[in-house]
Amino acid sequence: MLKELGPGLRLTLIFTVLTGLLYPAVMTGVSELVFPKQANGSLVTVGGKVVGSTLIGQPFAKPEYFHPRPSAAGSGYDATASSGSNLGPTSAKLLHGTTKMDDKKNEIVDFDGINLRIVHYCVDNEIPYESSVPLDQFKDSHGDLDDVKLIKAFNDDKTPLVFTAKAPIPPDAVTASASGLDPHISPGNAETQAARIAKARGVSADQLKQLIPQFTDRADLGFLGEPRVNVLMLNIALDQKFPVSK
Amino acid sequence: MTLLGIAQIVIFFAIVVAITKPIGVFMHRVFEGERTFLHPIFRPLERLIYWLGGVREGEEQSWVRYSASMISLSIFSFLFVYLLQRLQGHLPLNPMHFSTSQAPSNATPMTPDLAFNTAVSFVTNTNWQSYSPDTTMSYLTQMAALAVQNFVSAAVGIAVAVALIRGFARHSAKTIGNFWVDVTRCTLYILLPICILATLFFVGQGSIQNFKGPATVTTLEGATQVIEQGPLASQLAIKMLGTNGGGYFNANSAHPYENPTPLANLLQMLLIFSLGAGLTYMFGKMVRDTRQGWAIFAAMALMFLAGSFICYWAEQAGNPMLTKMGIEHVYTGSQPGGNMEGKEVRFGNPMTALFATVTTDASCGAVIGMHDSFTPIGGLVPLFNIQTDEVIFGGVGAGLYSMLIYAVVAVFIGGLMVGRTPEYVGKKIEQKEVKMAIIAILATSLVILCFTAISSIAPFAANHYWNPPGPSTANLNNGGPHGFSEILYAYSSGAGNNGSAFAGINANTPWYNLSIGVDMLVGRFLFIIPALAIAGSLASKKLIPVTSGTLPTNGSLFVILLIGTVIIVGALTYFPALSLGPIVEHMQMLNGKLF
Repeated sequence: MLKELGPGLRLTLIFTVLTGLLYPAVMTGVSELVFPKQANGSLVTVGGKVVGSTLIGQPFAKPEYFHPRPSAAGSGYDATASSGSNLGPTSAKLLHGTTKMDDKKNEIVDFDGINLRIVHYCVDNEIPYESSVPLDQFKDSHGDLDDVKLIKAFNDDKTPLVFTAKAPIPPDAVTASASGLDPHISPGNAETQAARIAKARGVSADQLKQLIPQFTDRADLGFLGEPRVNVLMLNIALDQKFPVSK
Repeated sequence: MTLLGIAQIVIFFAIVVAITKPIGVFMHRVFEGERTFLHPIFRPLERLIYWLGGVREGEEQSWVRYSASMISLSIFSFLFVYLLQRLQGHLPLNPMHFSTSQAPSNATPMTPDLAFNTAVSFVTNTNWQSYSPDTTMSYLTQMAALAVQNFVSAAVGIAVAVALIRGFARHSAKTIGNFWVDVTRCTLYILLPICILATLFFVGQGSIQNFKGPATVTTLEGATQVIEQGPLASQLAIKMLGTNGGGYFNANSAHPYENPTPLANLLQMLLIFSLGAGLTYMFGKMVRDTRQGWAIFAAMALMFLAGSFICYWAEQAGNPMLTKMGIEHVYTGSQPGGNMEGKEVRFGNPMTALFATVTTDASCGAVIGMHDSFTPIGGLVPLFNIQTDEVIFGGVGAGLYSMLIYAVVAVFIGGLMVGRTPEYVGKKIEQKEVKMAIIAILATSLVILCFTAISSIAPFAANHYWNPPGPSTANLNNGGPHGFSEILYAYSSGAGNNGSAFAGINANTPWYNLSIGVDMLVGRFLFIIPALAIAGSLASKKLIPVTSGTLPTNGSLFVILLIGTVIIVGALTYFPALSLGPIVEHMQMLNGKLF
């Protein structure tokens, strides 16, 4: 055994230098030469300013933009904390959401849950729905939906709120991705959102829908993966073609 | 299931079939020391390594010395990885300032138990990650500690498989090769060249490869987004080829930088299977009957296809509770349907299910979707794959030596049925071989089931040193049977040296770090050492001629016997535990029960 210690130590060091320092250094050098844009993160510049990366999703909440998928990365699209929700199919938290107390003892949303996402997706995009209790009962003094009240209603043991969309919801619109940084949504999800965005930008929905296919990738080589729409690139194009009137 | 979805599985498998022979032939040349087209470049480097390392190339080793060499390399690797992690705050290439006073607020401290767990994890080819790399590891730790072990632990696995094959191939011999030479040749002629090409391909598809600090951007809506960078692609290539699976980012190969396109994903899956598949052909070639290799391949292929389609079906069928809320569950061409929680739009259900099967058929453990969010049956497939010791193409080397150990058990069972001394590829299988095979199989199941049982009930007090969250079930992210599955998956993944997870579990506490650490060590070394003992014992035996009493091991009868052995041993060992986890959860999901 002792005779084997020498080569063990030496080969550990040799492999560290070869595969741990030389190999990544050389690969970095070659990548910089051959694929400089990709090697440095596929960053996108608009008007001289870096606004993001084509590969990394970013949060959009305003009605005039296409919205990305829900994200479990940090507080949402945190590119220093990629993550999925890791909640399983029988998780009450995943379906109904949870609330918590903040520092000032106000009850706030801890996790939104798929039910609440469906409510917002239906209301925002004017999708027909059926609700066991009229949604007006969950509005606050400003007339906005109170998420905390809704989550509590979904979690009610005796008479839970039952909310059903009456047109099929694309699953990617209400589920969190694996990375929390998914740059894409499905074409179906983009089309469902088009009417809302057209209204916010004062253009016709048909005009706006024509833009979607330009930012849709079909399956690679015709059979690999799924059709997908790049949200950031589509939203940049929106701002250029149909700027929001201020 | 759709035609396009099925096509992805079938075409992927067809490519695996096509590359098996060329890779096997090439590996055979490398390990027989024959000249290859890479010799003009790498032969001088190989000789330099032997000279610097004090290795005598022509020297052969007994199985005991071969094992001692393997342990020596593993010990120094462990120490080196441990130290580099603990010292990373004082070392260069740490743009996020981890383990220093300027670390970001969400950073994970590099505690001794975490460094121990991670060092064991990478040395054993497991790549279980209790930490989130995004918030824990410096560039230097990632490339000079973790990625190096991705090479070394892969080379060790392949070396052990080659040694075991030599045990079958040689006769009346005292030695099974030279460990140092096998490891060096594997790294230089097989791992490095493929990784160099794969790295460039991945960068071309969009993976990052730089030494810059994080990019700070202002989003369209005016928010600030910090996007981490680093030398990712070079680590990604070996992570897949070496079936290591440890992500550069927390989201692993689901992260868009770590798997930018479905095409990149196809290459990642091929890298996982390529060497494991090639080794089956090399086995046949070395025992002078390639049909022996194809028989092993066929058994693996049938189990792979079954797993892929079951997983795909379950994930596409989705969660009936979501369907009731009005979520589309059928694929329509404009949206993916199925269970999209924890999946990426670009991959969808079929590709994610295929990847989950591939990464657990082999002991890779990289993921492109969160297994924790899979449907119960979709999650059962990867879990059962791991528990049957990942014999389906398997971890590099590990898959073949594990499958050969099952083959020993299979011919033993066959021998008992017909009442003759069992034989396999010209060698009598006797008491010693069967004992060693059983030790290997029992040791892993023993640690998996015992640790799972302990962690299901251990009543730590809150803020206890060993488990600050409190009882060991307080670390779970899900309730009910799914929570139990998180624990069962963690220890299965550790002992199976897989490294994937039902990742909701918070395993970064001293209790989980140490117990999973022990779990990984047992799963690695109590499999390898018995395998090498079998190699030594077989090498010393005479070749016996095939007679009418020999059970043919190169035909369909043996393929069925082998599959039966793997599944029956796995089912007998784990059925009770699986019933408490995914099986009961499936019933409850159908009944709309939540936890």
